[in-house]
Parts: sequence; structure tokens; C-alpha cells
Amino acid sequence: MPNPPTSPRSKYALPVSLLAVAGVAVLSLGCRADQVAHYRVPKEAAASHPDHPGHAEESMAAPAGADLPAPPVPTGQGALKWSLPKGWSAQGGSGMRYATFQSPVAGKLEATVVVLPGPAGGELANVNRWRNQIGLPPLDEAGLAKARTVLKTKAGALNVYDFTSDGQARSRTVAGYIATADGNTWFLKMTGDADPVAKARPDFMRILESIHLD
Amino acid sequence: MIKPLALRTWSFLKSFQLTIVLLALLMALVVLCTLAQVEMGTQGAVNAYMRSFLVWKHFASVPFGVPVFPGGALVGLLLTINLIGKTLDIKLSWGRSGMWLVHAGLVILFAGEFVAGMMQVDTQMSIEVGQTVNYVQAYKNMELAVIDVTDPKWDEVYSVPDTLLAKGDPIAIPGTPITVKVKKYFPNAELTTLVPGAEPSLATAGVGTGVSVVGIPVVSADNEMNQTSAFVEFTAGGRSYGTWLASVALGAPQSFTHEGRTYAISMRLRRQYLPYAFTLKQFRHDVYPGTQIAKNFSSLVQVVNPSRQESREVLIYMNQPLRYEGKTFYQASFGKNDTLSILSVVENPGWLLPYVSCVLVSIGLLVHFAIVLRRSLKRRQDQKEG
Repeated sequence: MPNPPTSPRSKYALPVSLLAVAGVAVLSLGCRADQVAHYRVPKEAAASHPDHPGHAEESMAAPAGADLPAPPVPTGQGALKWSLPKGWSAQGGSGMRYATFQSPVAGKLEATVVVLPGPAGGELANVNRWRNQIGLPPLDEAGLAKARTVLKTKAGALNVYDFTSDGQARSRTVAGYIATADGNTWFLKMTGDADPVAKARPDFMRILESIHLD
Repeated sequence: MIKPLALRTWSFLKSFQLTIVLLALLMALVVLCTLAQVEMGTQGAVNAYMRSFLVWKHFASVPFGVPVFPGGALVGLLLTINLIGKTLDIKLSWGRSGMWLVHAGLVILFAGEFVAGMMQVDTQMSIEVGQTVNYVQAYKNMELAVIDVTDPKWDEVYSVPDTLLAKGDPIAIPGTPITVKVKKYFPNAELTTLVPGAEPSLATAGVGTGVSVVGIPVVSADNEMNQTSAFVEFTAGGRSYGTWLASVALGAPQSFTHEGRTYAISMRLRRQYLPYAFTLKQFRHDVYPGTQIAKNFSSLVQVVNPSRQESREVLIYMNQPLRYEGKTFYQASFGKNDTLSILSVVENPGWLLPYVSCVLVSIGLLVHFAIVLRRSLKRRQDQKEG
């Protein structure tokens, strides 16, 4: 039976080569992620994170993205106020989210208020973003005007949109869009499965009708 | 002169004294790493203590980091060398074959941890019921996504990693005429509405013109997320399309059009698109009757892979992950009133190594036990006969 190698040269060869392999691996990994990647992907039927990519406040135990710092929200005279129907409640938001409504209606439904400075990309782009989130194709300016219902409120004219997706599991979005005098744009949006959204719609419309400036 | 020194070093590297010191250091590292998780989060602490060669500390009085303790990678490497040295000292004979197998198994276990530390990629997949998702996304790392949305069916997604933005050099987007110039990069920032009289925003286009951005320290805890932001200027064909604010905290769509092609821009968690897609058909969150204590979480997903002409249902539940195309999908979390399932996705090319190691160590111990037993029985027999 041969004995194990005993010459010092062969004894060092293994650990030295191990160190060399580890070093090369470290160097190669250091350069790995620093390149622009390209993907060609089908258009998303529904965005996983409707209003911002962090989107974790809805998640009870999300591994990342919770507790975003306070949003850049207007206070005082520029802020919108509303009256809540019976059974509804509102919580302060996080990230760019100004508030989240809790409705008494059971089922998959989410109602939020988001405020952004300036025109926030424009009405058409935002409406198309909402449509994209429920798998609907984009509208042009003419289609936008056709889909728009204008609601007169104490805070000014509120543009309301109501879209329902096709298919077996239908989703629906009801959203109000208003630009305030201080230059901010407000989005009051309710989205979810078509049935619970339909049930909660009358109350949500009452919230939209009630908005006024602080 | 050199030869005796090398021999002495080699004897030190394979000594039992070093084994004991290294094992003690490893135990200390485990305690320190566990305590550090409170502030740094799991991944942050593991990276700082276990997957680094040295543990660095930043002191207020010193402008650079100071190494204060050997890291897990250094201790692991020395232990591996120590183990190999010890293994090579074992006599190569059938009588020692069990010991060889046990030591080889341990070396493979250590090698597996090195492979995991250097090559494992941890991501997650969040899917809502009814939704189809064809990408996984990082927990912390960000990307500036420049997406050519012109085609009605396809999006051309160009992902600029945050690490590249941090360097600050102009970045040419391959396959497009666009160059991104990073004006200012914030690994973490606080965004506020620009008040009258404040310093104007660096942005000249988009939502960012009305936003003030202040850099804040980076966070690494599990429940915190950096609001990575950057002021970036887009140029194409010798023309500037303005400086834009791209931030994780901004949800507003921003885009510009160059020669008939529209490019949407956004900062988001880094994505890796997959050649297959998952649709979440059902999510279950069962509790023990009369309590809120979780009994089971499971996700029923439809896996659709056009390249394999495959479409099948898979149930992923606790301790029953799906291993698919080099990735392992674990049921990790949930949300949105049980309509959102979060799968933890691990890609580790060395995932088999710990199993191989366990098998080798088990066989080695059995072989060694059999050899010792046989030897002992033979000795007894000899004593009886003698």
C-alpha cells in the first residue's frame, strides 16, 4: 500500500492551490454584478407592486421593503381631507402613500391615497399604468377623455376612472385624480377583485365626493 | 533557511492547537454574528461576520475601517487547510479508510460553505393570487431600469445595477443610443417636497423637479429598505433629455422619447427575469383550530415553461420547496390578507455538497466502526486462543 505523499513540495501544493482558487473566485465574483443586463420580456399583465416597488406595507411579514421613511407629503392648507362612510377607517401611509383606507367589505380590495409633487408623469401615463396593472391595454388621449367622469368637489374637479379587466378572474380599479393648487397631484384609488370593488364602490364614491382642502 | 520556516509554518497550520483556537474563534463568531443581527439584519450580519475574511469596524475617530476580528471566511479557510493537513497525515491504508472518508466529507462540507458564500444568490418572488410572475427580485440590491416600452407586446428591459451607478461614470446602454450620466447617487435617501426658497432640485425633468433629496445612512436590517435614489441625465444622439430623479420612493411613471422609441425609467429592486413563469392559483394559510398559530402555509403554482413545453401545477409548502432550473423556491412569507405569497428563491450551485458530505461522513463512521469492531473481536479471539 503506498504511503501518503511526504515531500514538502507536494504537501504545499494542495493548500497553495486552494488559496489560489479561493483568490481567483473572490476576484471573479467581485466583477460579476457590474454590468448592464438586457432582457426582452412580454409586457406585464399586472404589476406586482402597484404604487411603488417597495410596496411592503401591505405585507404582514415581507422580508424586505417595510417601514419606508415618512413620505414627502403636503401638510396644512395643501392637504386633502375627506369624510369616511360608516365602517371605513383610514391609516397614515408610508413611502409615497399618504393614507390607506380599510373597508368593511370582505375580499381582495385595497384603497389608497398617494400624493406626488408636480404632474407626476401626467394623467394619461398614470391612467395607463392603472390599466396595465389589471391587464388592460393603454388608452390614447381620446380614449382617456371618453373614460373620464368629472366629479365636482370642494377641492376642485376630480377626474374619476372605473376600469374592469376581462377574463376569468376579473379585477377592477376605481380611481380619482386631482391636481391641487400647490402643484401636487393626488391619486385616490381602489383596486382589487371585481366583486368586492363593486360592493365597496358606492362608499368609495362618497369618499371621493367628500374631499376638500384642509 | 526558507525550507525549515516553510516546514514549521506547515506544522503550525496542521496542528491541533490551531484547530482548537479556530474552533473557539468560530464559536465566538457565531455569538457575535447572532448579536449583530439585531442591528444589521440577518444578511448584513452574515456578510459582515461569516462571509468576510476580516470583521471591519468603523470608529468615529478613524476615517477608515479597522479590522477587529478574523472573519468566518478566514477561519473557515484555515480550518480547511488544517483539516487537509491532518488528513494527509493519516496513513493511506484500508485500516484507515473510514478516517479518510470522514475527513474527506468534512473538507467537502467546508468547500460547500465556500461555494455558498461566494456563489449563492438569494432572491424572492412575490405573487398575488391570479398573478403571473416571470422574475425574481433581490432583497436589497437595486437597479435603474431603462425600459423601451415602444413595442406593444414586448418590453426591452435594460438593468443598470446600483453598484455601477455608485461608481459615477457615464454608462452607455448597449443596444441603444442612450448614455446615462450619474449626477448624484444616494444609496439611501429621504425625499421631501421641495419648499419655496429651498435649494433647487438637480432634476430638470420629471417628478424630481419638485422633490428635495437628502442622503441618509444605509440600512441593512431585514425590515428596512434603502430608498436608493439617483439624479441621472439621459443623452442620446448628442442630445440631452434632461436630468431625472429615479428613486425607489417614487411610483410615478417617468419616460422620454428618442427617435420614436419611448424609454420608461425607474429605480427598483434588482430583477432577474426567468425563461419560465409562475402563476399563483391558490394560497393557503391554515391555523390550528381556535388559535391564530400557523399550521401550514402553501402556494399552489402553475409553472409554465415554453422552452420545455411544460405546464404543470406544483404545491410549494413549508419544508417542501420546489427545485427548478437550478433555483430552489421556498414558501417564506405572505401578506395582503392571505392573497400575496412570498417565495424565497435560492440559487446555490453547491447545494448538493452538504448532502454528499453527510453521506461520506456517515459511511466513513460506519466503515471505521466496522474496522475497529473487527479488530477488537480478532483481539479477543487471539486472547482466547492464546
